[in-house]
Amino acid sequence: MAVASAEIAAPVGQARSKIAKPAQHRGTGYWFAAPAVFLMIVILIVPVFIAAALSFTDYSLGNTSAEWVGIDNYDRILSRSTYLKMFSSTIIYVLVVVPASVALGLGAALLINSLKVAQDFYKTIFFLPVMAALLAMAIVWEFALHPTIGIVNDSLEAGCGTLLQAIFDWGWLPFVDGSQTWYGRHCADGQFPLWLRDRDYALWTLCFIGIWQAFGFNMVLYLAGLTAIPRELVQAAEMDGARSAWERFRLVTWPMLGPTTVFVVTISSIRSFQVFDTVEALTQGGPSKSTYVMMYAIYEKAIQQNLMGVGAAVTVAFIFFVLVITFVQRYLVERRVHYS
Amino acid sequence: MSATHYIGEGWKHLVLILGSLVVILPFYVMLSYSLKSPGEIERNEGGFFGAQEMMVDERCVKLREPDRNAIAEARERFPGQSDTAIYQALVSEIESECSTRPIVFNYTKAFSEAPLLRYLLNGVIVTVSIFLIQIVVALPCAYALAKLRFFGREFVFGMVLFCLLIPVHAIALPLYIMLAKVGLTNSYAALVIPWTISVFGIFLMRQFFMTVPDDLIDAARMDGMSEFSIVWKVMLPTAVPALLAFGIFSVVAHWNDYFWPRIVVTGNRDLFTPPLGLREFKGDADGSFFGPMMATATIIVTPLIVAFLIAQRRFIEGITLSGMK
Repeated sequence: MAVASAEIAAPVGQARSKIAKPAQHRGTGYWFAAPAVFLMIVILIVPVFIAAALSFTDYSLGNTSAEWVGIDNYDRILSRSTYLKMFSSTIIYVLVVVPASVALGLGAALLINSLKVAQDFYKTIFFLPVMAALLAMAIVWEFALHPTIGIVNDSLEAGCGTLLQAIFDWGWLPFVDGSQTWYGRHCADGQFPLWLRDRDYALWTLCFIGIWQAFGFNMVLYLAGLTAIPRELVQAAEMDGARSAWERFRLVTWPMLGPTTVFVVTISSIRSFQVFDTVEALTQGGPSKSTYVMMYAIYEKAIQQNLMGVGAAVTVAFIFFVLVITFVQRYLVERRVHYS
Repeated sequence: MSATHYIGEGWKHLVLILGSLVVILPFYVMLSYSLKSPGEIERNEGGFFGAQEMMVDERCVKLREPDRNAIAEARERFPGQSDTAIYQALVSEIESECSTRPIVFNYTKAFSEAPLLRYLLNGVIVTVSIFLIQIVVALPCAYALAKLRFFGREFVFGMVLFCLLIPVHAIALPLYIMLAKVGLTNSYAALVIPWTISVFGIFLMRQFFMTVPDDLIDAARMDGMSEFSIVWKVMLPTAVPALLAFGIFSVVAHWNDYFWPRIVVTGNRDLFTPPLGLREFKGDADGSFFGPMMATATIIVTPLIVAFLIAQRRFIEGITLSGMK
């Protein structure tokens, strides 16, 4: 978005400085750009190549030499079940957290935007998780989800047999047997999930924490996108027969939010690919590798077990994913996001 | 305004309030546990503040348990009593000295069990030096890209755009190896170096400088200012709002960062940043230390939350800056 405007603005700046530029300032540009260029090369570009090179070796820190092992590392991460679990848990995490946090962010933004009072109040509350250190909040969630003394299971238990159960075992819906639904069954057993210590729940619990943390950020971006939609457009749609709020959303708001959505989805995807804090602090990839995500795999293999080759191969796979997401974004930005 | 309008508004508020409750829940748990005694936490009672009854610090009692010498010394104070009686009298004395209110217990333990002040100081040192170096590196480069003409300028800008694609966390492993090779792991340098270059900062500042009129710079040149002082005395002041937003973005990201410190700081507690300190606390916490741990979490999270509540608009602007990419 801003990139495009920069490229338009550039020639103007050039033309002007052509007139104003005495010869003695010519070298200054190099001196000013040099430190940044040097750091970009050393800190950002060279490591990508190092990772690529190491991924074909069995390098480990402390060893003076490393053997060239060809594609063994890639073969390993593409065939062993541990790494297949790594890919599947990372992808499940991303495919759950991104749509959910984007949808919730959009929903919250639309609701808040349509309010007459207390807009700032809700905005502040929903943005709090973005500000708080995720590691600290992850540990708090672990307490809240503690199987015996946690507030979540305590409340669920206390809710059994009360109005809460009556509502949330969905027994009031037609054709639903309240005692057979999730809440109904657990109330009957008197046992609630172990959450982070149960391999059927751990990844979903981490997804929940991820959504909890991320959706406020998306909400703020959507709120900014909403203020940019001209009122006349919505009114014009209304006059042209888009009577219901849903019609106006579908015909005006959603298309106008296209660029915001592309950006929000991209940044959410890249961030959720990088999930690490909650995994390291709460599950360490377990139980039985159910939460073994890529960043944690890099940390465990390379840093803890000093298997740099494998870690580098996972790093390369990771960079590949991030680049794919970014190129998809670029493609969408250039093609169809406006008035789709 | 019709009745249906109010019903509509009411529904929206209901949904948003339910959402708010879920969002607030962990903050509530954190604050509440940091105020309560271990017993109250375990039995989940006492509401938000807990009863704040005096509680005995078991560890403190254990540490000061009277031995033979202490009993011998105390004979003068309790003449004519048996050793067991003296022992019990001493223990009850110690217990009364070791009892505190839960809130005091939790927050003093947070600072005494681990060098929390040191961690906080480290956090400040790291975030501030990262931000300052980012500015020192990015500002001249951004100025050169926006206002100076030199061969290869477009290439450098292309490089900036390319580097925007590389998340630093993704290349953490090769960076770690490079730092290990030059023997810099477990140092402040290791915590700071990977973040010294903010391509995003360069990009942002360049966009901003493009909007600064050339006349301003030409006037400064006429006055005989060097290019160097133009950057710091003319461009910097014009860029303060953008810098402030970028600063918030940078400080929040690095104060809260856990991944990178976890990788380059191993074992050396003197270098722990606040999240690392909290993680260490969790590692060796037993049941009775939930309270102090939540107090630590509260202390770590509070500075940014308070700053956010004071300057919301600026913070939201700063954090969503990356939205301009």
